[in-house]
Amino acid sequence: MKSLHGEWFSNVRNDLLAGMVVALALIPEAIAFSIIAGVDPKVGLYASFSIAVVIAFVGGRPGMISAATGAMALVMVTLVKDHGLQYLLAATVLTGVLQIVAGWVRLGVLMRFVSRSVVTGFVNALAILIFMAQLPELTNVTWHVYAMTAAGLGIIYLFPYITRAVPSPLVTIVVLTAVALVLQLDIRTVGDMGDLPDSLPIFLIPDIPLNFETLKIILPYSLTLMVVGLLESLMTATIIDDLTDTKSDKNRECVGQGVANIATGFIGGMAGCAMIGQSVINVKSGGRGRLSTLCAGLFLLILVVFLGDWVRQIPMAALVAVMIMVSIGTFNWGSIRNLRDHPRSSSAVMLATVVVTVATHDLAKGVLTGVLLSGFFFAHKVGQILRVGSLAEDEGRQRTYQITGQVFFATADRFINAFDFKEVIERVRIDVSRAHFWDITAVSALDKVVLKFRREGCEVEVIGLNEASATLVDKFGVHDKDDADDLLLGH
Amino acid sequence: MHIENKVLACVDQSPFADHVGDYAAWAAARMDAPLELLHVIERHPEIGDTRDHSGALTPNAQEQLLSELSAQDEIHTRRAREQGRIFLNRLRERALAAGVESVDMRQRHGLLDDTLRDWEPGVRLFVLGRHGQSAVANRPDLGSNVERVVRVLQRPVLTVTEDFQAPKRVLIAFDGSVLTQRGVQMVAESPLLRGLPVRLLMVGKSRQAGPREMELAAGSLRKAGFTVQESIQDGDAQEVILQTIASESIDLLVMGAYSHARWRSMVFGSKTGDLLRKVRIPALLLR
Repeated sequence: MKSLHGEWFSNVRNDLLAGMVVALALIPEAIAFSIIAGVDPKVGLYASFSIAVVIAFVGGRPGMISAATGAMALVMVTLVKDHGLQYLLAATVLTGVLQIVAGWVRLGVLMRFVSRSVVTGFVNALAILIFMAQLPELTNVTWHVYAMTAAGLGIIYLFPYITRAVPSPLVTIVVLTAVALVLQLDIRTVGDMGDLPDSLPIFLIPDIPLNFETLKIILPYSLTLMVVGLLESLMTATIIDDLTDTKSDKNRECVGQGVANIATGFIGGMAGCAMIGQSVINVKSGGRGRLSTLCAGLFLLILVVFLGDWVRQIPMAALVAVMIMVSIGTFNWGSIRNLRDHPRSSSAVMLATVVVTVATHDLAKGVLTGVLLSGFFFAHKVGQILRVGSLAEDEGRQRTYQITGQVFFATADRFINAFDFKEVIERVRIDVSRAHFWDITAVSALDKVVLKFRREGCEVEVIGLNEASATLVDKFGVHDKDDADDLLLGH
Repeated sequence: MHIENKVLACVDQSPFADHVGDYAAWAAARMDAPLELLHVIERHPEIGDTRDHSGALTPNAQEQLLSELSAQDEIHTRRAREQGRIFLNRLRERALAAGVESVDMRQRHGLLDDTLRDWEPGVRLFVLGRHGQSAVANRPDLGSNVERVVRVLQRPVLTVTEDFQAPKRVLIAFDGSVLTQRGVQMVAESPLLRGLPVRLLMVGKSRQAGPREMELAAGSLRKAGFTVQESIQDGDAQEVILQTIASESIDLLVMGAYSHARWRSMVFGSKTGDLLRKVRIPALLLR
């Protein structure tokens, strides 16, 4: 009871104010992301409303903002183009179902395989893609648009020096809209991009044939959406955890994202997830509790439905300015400086994540590349820890090989090559008690060595195999046995 | 964690801390137990504080915000730590002057109830102010922490409100329940109240086993060397207790506390809470 009350009502004033600031920033983003996905602005706006409101109740990280996002919008582009909105709504519902399952089977633990470099690559790629998505609005247009965009950026970054009481993106939008109306500029506005919400959202079931064909179309998209959504949500949750020095419930967040997406699919919204930028804005504005997220969603809907005629008039240039701010704010600028100082393998992982994502427009593929690459690099590094020493004994009749370190698929060859099979000798002792055999490749490498020596007519004795192969047992629980430290730290 | 059986005085930086310290010193001296003064520095990450509603995402906004927030926390905690140290030192001097031999002091981060639960194994008696930093003495309200804290604890808790006065007459509110039977046993065995006249009071004549339970309780107290005066009276428990306290100038109340589930006290209110709001004398709560 204590925590429920605490999560909702311990910060009411700040949560309400922060929620409003966030709502004002959410509107241009939701519109922009709808345009990226190729749907009417109302699809993104309804989605942002519904996701924010639902996640406020069911999410695992109070104070985090979830809504329609660029990462998700990028994934659904081809689905919308080839099959239309109804399939997107169905895919959104299916994404939610998959996310709930992921939460139940505690898929969140897999996040620990996503290294810091991959996370940095993810946010950088996201920033680049958001920026690139603005370019169509900036090509083949009159100079007015450039002037408006530049002025917008100027207001966004400079207005806070005058006052921090009013959100500067809001000022940008109001000023640019007023200028466009007064000067009667003939430039593109939000109204040109498609329908805006004219009523409260209503419940509707996606209009698709319920058959295997449909599933075959939407399942690949839903899987990618699930992965991307959970990735960004869990990353954002970690960021908010750090910012506020508190803990979040990651599995509850997975399930919560699922519930939010299901609800959103049924009211005609596109799939979404947590937003890094907006969540940071929320915390920066003093939002900490669930109320801030709820308020952001409700306020957004009220604004859009009742001020729809005004929202229609917003020039796209204003939106582009806000989105450029978002992409600049999302990009991790420190990572460029770090390219010099960080280990080259980390930088490679980061860059690979960025390159693959930007090339495929698919954050899931980028992250997968990054994770695999960090796996390779890690295996390579750990593989360095393998020493084979040997000593002749018993007046040249016997040689003892002393193996120290990690033997696994990446070092098995090096392990085999360390033995001198051509040596003329009676007995060979292989002492592996200070080595770890991690997998079947390692064991068969040892078999091979023993066999080769036998062929040369040597007697072979392997010492300490029990200790060495303790790591082979496929139980993650070596560490929780009493002698775990001895086992893992050289017996 | 700690084998010693100490008296733990939970203080915050309010005027009531002096009373808590004094009663704790009294209890420690009587029980010949070490005294520890505990100040818990609570952090409130669930509360945001900012005037920045600019909503603009500057480059590296996240890193900046992180360093800003941690710097704030750092300043905050340092200040609280230093203030708390000075204030604890003063209380310690006071307790030493009151004749307690061993007085330890400690500051911890965390929430009060969590901290006390962690600390419980080494503690014989908790002393706690019924009002805290946020309260005004004459407002008949319980400090926000009291119920929360008392509920998580298993050991007796001495709750105090006003200036220290060495207790001279003790009232045990006895209802025949296992809880108060155990409480009587505890009083009989402990040196805390030894030598003080005890008034054993049961309210509600209807209970059949009442007289018998009363006799047993009084018996065990007498055997331990207490002078006991017992009676069973009819009427509303709270009123009778308040009357007895007033008419017989009782200055320490011993009672069972919060024996019902949390939800019940949220819905119907808690008898313990009501009574604690009305009495001004220290109350030793048994769990």
